[in-house]
Amino acid sequence: MKKLFAVLLALAMLSACAVAETVNQKDEPVLNIFTWEGYIDYSTVIQPFEEETGIKVNYATFASNEEMYEKLSAVNGGDYDIVLASDYMLNTTREAGLMQKLDKSIVTNYGNLDETFLGQYFDPDNEYVFPYVSGGPLIIYNPDEVSVDIKGMKDLLDPSLADSVGLIDDARVTVGLTLRSLGYSMNTTDEAQLAEAAAMLEALKPNLHILEYENLHNFLLSGDISVAYTFTPFVALALEANPDLKIVYPEEGLGFGVDGCFIPVNAPHAKNANLFIEYMLRPEVGATITQWQYYCCTNVPAREILGDWYYGNAVFTGLIDRLDDIEFIKNLPIADEQKFQDIWTTFKLSL
Amino acid sequence: MARKGGMRGDARRNAMFVAPMALLAVLLVALPLIYVLGTSLVQTGEDFSLGATFTLDNYKRLLRADYLQVFLNSLQLALLTTLVSLLIGYPFGYCMARAGRRWKALLMMLVIIPFWTSALVRIYGWKILLQANGPINAVLRGLGLIDKNIKFLGSYGSVLLAMVYCMISMMILPCHSAVDKMDFTLVEAARDLGSRPWRAFLDVTLPLTMPGILAGCVLVFVPSVGIFYLSDIMGGGLVLVGNLIRDQLLKVRDWNTGSAMSMVLILITAGVYLVYRKSGGDDLGVF
Repeated sequence: MKKLFAVLLALAMLSACAVAETVNQKDEPVLNIFTWEGYIDYSTVIQPFEEETGIKVNYATFASNEEMYEKLSAVNGGDYDIVLASDYMLNTTREAGLMQKLDKSIVTNYGNLDETFLGQYFDPDNEYVFPYVSGGPLIIYNPDEVSVDIKGMKDLLDPSLADSVGLIDDARVTVGLTLRSLGYSMNTTDEAQLAEAAAMLEALKPNLHILEYENLHNFLLSGDISVAYTFTPFVALALEANPDLKIVYPEEGLGFGVDGCFIPVNAPHAKNANLFIEYMLRPEVGATITQWQYYCCTNVPAREILGDWYYGNAVFTGLIDRLDDIEFIKNLPIADEQKFQDIWTTFKLSL
Repeated sequence: MARKGGMRGDARRNAMFVAPMALLAVLLVALPLIYVLGTSLVQTGEDFSLGATFTLDNYKRLLRADYLQVFLNSLQLALLTTLVSLLIGYPFGYCMARAGRRWKALLMMLVIIPFWTSALVRIYGWKILLQANGPINAVLRGLGLIDKNIKFLGSYGSVLLAMVYCMISMMILPCHSAVDKMDFTLVEAARDLGSRPWRAFLDVTLPLTMPGILAGCVLVFVPSVGIFYLSDIMGGGLVLVGNLIRDQLLKVRDWNTGSAMSMVLILITAGVYLVYRKSGGDDLGVF
């Protein structure tokens, strides 16, 4: 028994030493990335960086922005060197003082970024965040099976679409779209406006066939639904599989999002992190990232490399034309988030 | 004296074997559960850190008609899953136990092999089979039975199918083992005394295999209450307890309410198990 404890104790001490070592050795060739699974591709992006610099990249994943924030604040902005997360959580993280400024003497190519994505509320002075990808959900439909000319959310109420619409199973996104189509903000907390949105969802019920989060494009391609409201990469994937599909930028206004990289305030290898951001901002790397992620490209010279593949795709370019019409979904206090969730739960229960 | 010393040695050796397991159980089961219980009894601030104020509000918040409906949804789906699994699984297990050696091995393989593949992959297989322009619709159209593709996906039936498909081996194995262990001379005796086959089944086989049936029902029902991803994959759009908990944790960021819901779910499943044990159920070492 004593022996067992001794072994355990020794192991614990060893791991403690290992942790202490990584914190002390700021110059060791290591980079710790923290983001969603598969969000930075290994073989096309990370591996070439490792070969070029000799820096060993570790890739840790989280399932949600909230999980990221919790872990990052638990280690007081340490442990990780690069974090990639969504706009609203970037804002929360910056306000909590968990970010450090980018070293623009290393990140010399920050100017490659499209100004459209700069100066946003999560980084008003462009000091902390590298906007990695961007996009917003769109409506996509199969004209063979749809007789109405869909222009926005309101057209989804048309009786001819009975039992053939697929919507994103997310309170903020879908209640948000409904609010926009009624002329309200996606971030409203006004009870009367929210009640109106709930009533509009109710009216949509006979047409709704599928509620899902990230597979609506497959339901569309398999013929189970004729209209889907889904995220940028899935719209692009569906269009690639079936070029006859039609995409719609909802005329009432668009939801929009940016996912961006930042360096935590106590990142153990901040220099390597800056090097990695410089690397990702290179035109050819930016082009590779876009080809893998199927989001709108934030990097102007990278778009030039992609040429027709990018500019010929309305999913990517159409969004830029409508940038005056976009709205970010922002983090709300828990009690207000609960209001959205309640509307959604009630709606789903009544299906 | 020597004997006593020997016993103490045994006890110590036993403790040595049990200690690592006990340590693992404490670390991996007890501590997280205590953490969930603790989280459900306090109020968290906006900054995600746990506050120290004790409160029962998180549980009071659950007393709402629509949340009750969600729990009923989950229980209903689990109950239907158990019933369908029983109706298919018991005859399957029975035939498997009564079959000849070679058939038995083959049937057993059919039950075991799907275990080697991820449930997710197998469910996506069902999705492809069932989709509107998929093989099942193609066959039905080819036979002239339908003119328009049937939208199977998204229906309650498709969710139930996925649930039964994933859980049914948990029913088949205990039923098979109960029938296998049964002394069939008793059935022969009943037949010799003039009983008709179905009568002998109802009076002899069924009561004797009841422990297997009950174990199977518990093994299917308890996990079924918590599973929600199958409904999501099939596009069912059902609100099950699992969805509710996930949304509270990951979307609303209300860890306290989410934890309270988890505790209620744990209590329900523990309750089912307790009733099962009180009514004379075996421990679930069924294999």
